[in-house]
Amino acid sequence: MAGSGARWVRLVAASAAGVLLVAGCSGNSGGDSESGGGVTLKIAYWGDFGLDELKSRYEAANPNVKISLNTGEYNAQHEDLQKKLIAGDGAPDIAAIDEGFVIQFRGQADKFVNLLDSGAGQYESKYLPWKWKQSLTPDGKAQIGLGTDVGGLAMCYRTDLFQAAGLPTERDKVSALWSTWDQFIATGETYTRAMGKKFIDSGTNIFNPVLGQQAVGFYDPSEALLMEGGPKVAFEVAAKAIQADLSANLPAFQPEWNAAFVKGDFAVLACPAWMQGHIKNTAPDTAGKWDVAAVPGGGGNWGGSFLTIPKQGRHVDEAYKLLEWLIQPEQQIEIFKKVGNLPSQPALYQDPAIRDFTNPFFNNAPVGQIFSKTAEGLTPQYLGKKNGPTRVAVENVLNRMQNGDLKGKPLGQAWTEATKEAQKASTS
Amino acid sequence: MSTTRATPAAPPGGPAGRPAGRGEPDRHRWRNRLHRFDMRYTPYLLVAPFFLLFLVFGLFPIIFNGVVALRHWRLDDPTLTGWAGAANFEKLLTDDDFWNALYNTFGIFLLSTVPQLTLALVIASVLNRRLRAQTWFRVGVLLPYVTPITASTLVFAVVFARDTGVANWVLSVLHLAGDEPIDWRSAKWSSWTVLATMVNWKWIGYNALLYLAAMQSIPRDIYEAAAVDGAGVWRQLWRITVPMIRPVVIFTVVLSTIGGLQLFTEPMLLEQNAQAATGGANGEWQTIAQLIYKVGWKDLNLGYAAAMSWGLFLIIVVVSALNALITNRLGGGKR
Repeated sequence: MAGSGARWVRLVAASAAGVLLVAGCSGNSGGDSESGGGVTLKIAYWGDFGLDELKSRYEAANPNVKISLNTGEYNAQHEDLQKKLIAGDGAPDIAAIDEGFVIQFRGQADKFVNLLDSGAGQYESKYLPWKWKQSLTPDGKAQIGLGTDVGGLAMCYRTDLFQAAGLPTERDKVSALWSTWDQFIATGETYTRAMGKKFIDSGTNIFNPVLGQQAVGFYDPSEALLMEGGPKVAFEVAAKAIQADLSANLPAFQPEWNAAFVKGDFAVLACPAWMQGHIKNTAPDTAGKWDVAAVPGGGGNWGGSFLTIPKQGRHVDEAYKLLEWLIQPEQQIEIFKKVGNLPSQPALYQDPAIRDFTNPFFNNAPVGQIFSKTAEGLTPQYLGKKNGPTRVAVENVLNRMQNGDLKGKPLGQAWTEATKEAQKASTS
Repeated sequence: MSTTRATPAAPPGGPAGRPAGRGEPDRHRWRNRLHRFDMRYTPYLLVAPFFLLFLVFGLFPIIFNGVVALRHWRLDDPTLTGWAGAANFEKLLTDDDFWNALYNTFGIFLLSTVPQLTLALVIASVLNRRLRAQTWFRVGVLLPYVTPITASTLVFAVVFARDTGVANWVLSVLHLAGDEPIDWRSAKWSSWTVLATMVNWKWIGYNALLYLAAMQSIPRDIYEAAAVDGAGVWRQLWRITVPMIRPVVIFTVVLSTIGGLQLFTEPMLLEQNAQAATGGANGEWQTIAQLIYKVGWKDLNLGYAAAMSWGLFLIIVVVSALNALITNRLGGGKR
C-alpha cells in the first residue's frame, strides 16, 4: 500500500514536473520533424564544443541523420538534464556533462546507456586513466560517458598591456616572472601601479586554478567536506590578490565580464585549454594581442567534459554511433584546432597535428605543447556530488570581499563566512 | 376555431394524424422543460469550464503541494522518499535563508507598494481633470504595463550596470556620485531600490487607470461644493476622492500585496547569471519566490520547497487581510 502510494505520488509529480518543464524551457523541446524515416539527434552542451562544422560533415556522410545542436548556460544545461532524467522524458540524445557534475550523474547510472554494453570498453586504453574513471561507476560495471576534453592550466596574458606597463612580453620571460602565486601577486601590483588598471578579472578566477592544483578539493571520496585543506590554500591566495586591489571584480561568464575582454579591463586570465575558445569568440578583435605563459604553482586541472547518452532517448543506437565518431582522433584534433579543447586521449598529444600546433590568435603560442604537458603531469582531485554548489557558495564569499559587505574586512572573517556557506551548500 | 382544429379529419389513430394532432402541446411542454432547464442549469454549465480548469490547474496543485510539503522528496536522491511529517516546516523556522528572503521581500514590497499607490492616486487625480490630449496621456500611462516584464527588466539591468550604466552616469552628472561607481547589486539598499524602481515603473500606470475609472463615478458637484468651501486640491484628494473610491483602493492594495510578495521575475533577471537564483552574492535581494525556485530546482529538494510555498501562502493571506483592514480604516470605513 505504502509502495503503491509512493509510486502514485511520484508518477503525478513526474507529470507535473513535465508540465512545468514544457512551460519553463522553451526552445529545445518539440519541433523535431522526422520526415522520410530520418533521425534527428539532439546534442546539448554549453559554450563552444567545436561541433558546428563537424555537424555538417556527419550529416553529409549519414543522409538519414540530422543533428540538432543546443548550447546553453553551463549550470542551466546540467540542471535541465537532471530535471529531465527525473521527469523521464525530454533529455537530449547526447548530453554533455562537465567533470564538476559527473559524480552527481554517475550516481544515477541507471538513467544512462551503459557504454560498456555498446562496446566502448575498447577505448579504455586510449584515455587518460583518471579521465576514464571519472565517469565510470565505482564498481566498474557501468561507463556513463566518454571523455571529450581536459582542462590543463596556463596563464593567458595581454602582450600589448604588459608592454605598456613595462613588463616583459615574451612568454618564457613572463613565465619566469611568477613561479609562485606570491610572485604573481607582486607582478600584479607592479602592473596596477604602472597602469592604474586592474590586473586580473576576478578573485574567483584565481581561486579555481589554485584549488585545481591542490591534491584534495572540497570533498574526499567519502563525501566529507574538507575546507581546511585545498580550499583554504586557494581561498587565501585569492583573498590576497583581492586585498592587493588587483581584481576588476567581474563575475566570470557574465555580460560585464565578456565586455571587459573587448575593453581590455584586465591583463591576465587563468587559462584552461577550453578558455581559448571563449576568448576568441568573445573578443575576436584582440587577435594577436594575447599570449600564453605558464601558470604559477605548477600543473592542475580545471574543467573537462564527457558526452553521455541518456536512456530515455529514442535513438540510442544512432546516438552511440555519433558519439563514437566524435571521439575519434580525427574529430578530436579538429575540435582542438578550432576551439582549443584539449583531447583526453594522450596518444594524440604526440600527434604532430597537436604537438606542433601554434595558435595564431595567441601570438602563435605553442598551445599544443603547453596544454599537453600540464594534462599529462596531472593527478586530478576527487570532486564530490555537491562540488558544484559548494564552489558557487565559496565564490560568492570572494565576490562579497570584492564589492560587498566583506570588502575591507579581515581575511579571518571572510574565511569563517566561507566555511559556513560551504557547509550550508554541502547539506542543501 | 379550436373545435375545428381538434376535430380530426382523418380517423383517429391514423399514422399521419397523430403528430398533427398532438404536435402543439408537445412542443409547449418541450419548450417549458427547456426553459426550466435553462433557468436552473445553464448558469452552472457556463461557469463549469472555469471550475473544472480551476480544479485541475488550481486546486489540485495546491492540495498536492500540501502533500509534497509533508514528504521527503529530493530529485538527486530518488531513494529518499516517505512521510516527513512536520520536518520540512520545522526546518523552515530555523532557516536563515528563509528569514533573509522574507526580510528582503517585505523591504522591496514596502519600497514599491507605498510610492506606487500614492503616485498612482496623484496621477489619476491629475488625469481626472480636463487636460489637453487626455486620451493620449491616459493611454500613455498604461504603456509600461503593456511592456513584457522580462524585456523591461533586462533594460533596467543595463541601466543599473556598475561600469556602463546610465544610472551611475546620471548620478555623476548631478555630482551625487562618490569616488567609485555604485555597484547596485552589492548592498541591500541599492538592490532593493533598483527592484522597487522596476516594479513601480510597471504598475503605477495600471493602478492609476483603476483609480481613474473609479473617480469618474464621483459627481463633479461635490468637488465644486468643496472648492466653494475653500478646500484645496490636496484636501479634495484625501477628503473626497480617496474615501469615495475606497473599494478600489482596497482592491489595489490587496492586489499589490499578492504581487509584491510573489516578486520573482525582476529579482531573477537582476542577477547577472539568471540561473543562480541566489539574489546576489550574499542573498542581498533574494525574494521568497526566488528562494523557493532555488531550493526546488537547484538544490533539488522539492519537499522543502513545497513547505516554503505553503509558508509564503499563509504569509500572503495574513498580510493581505491586514492590509485590507488598515486601508479600510484609513479610508474612513466603519466595517
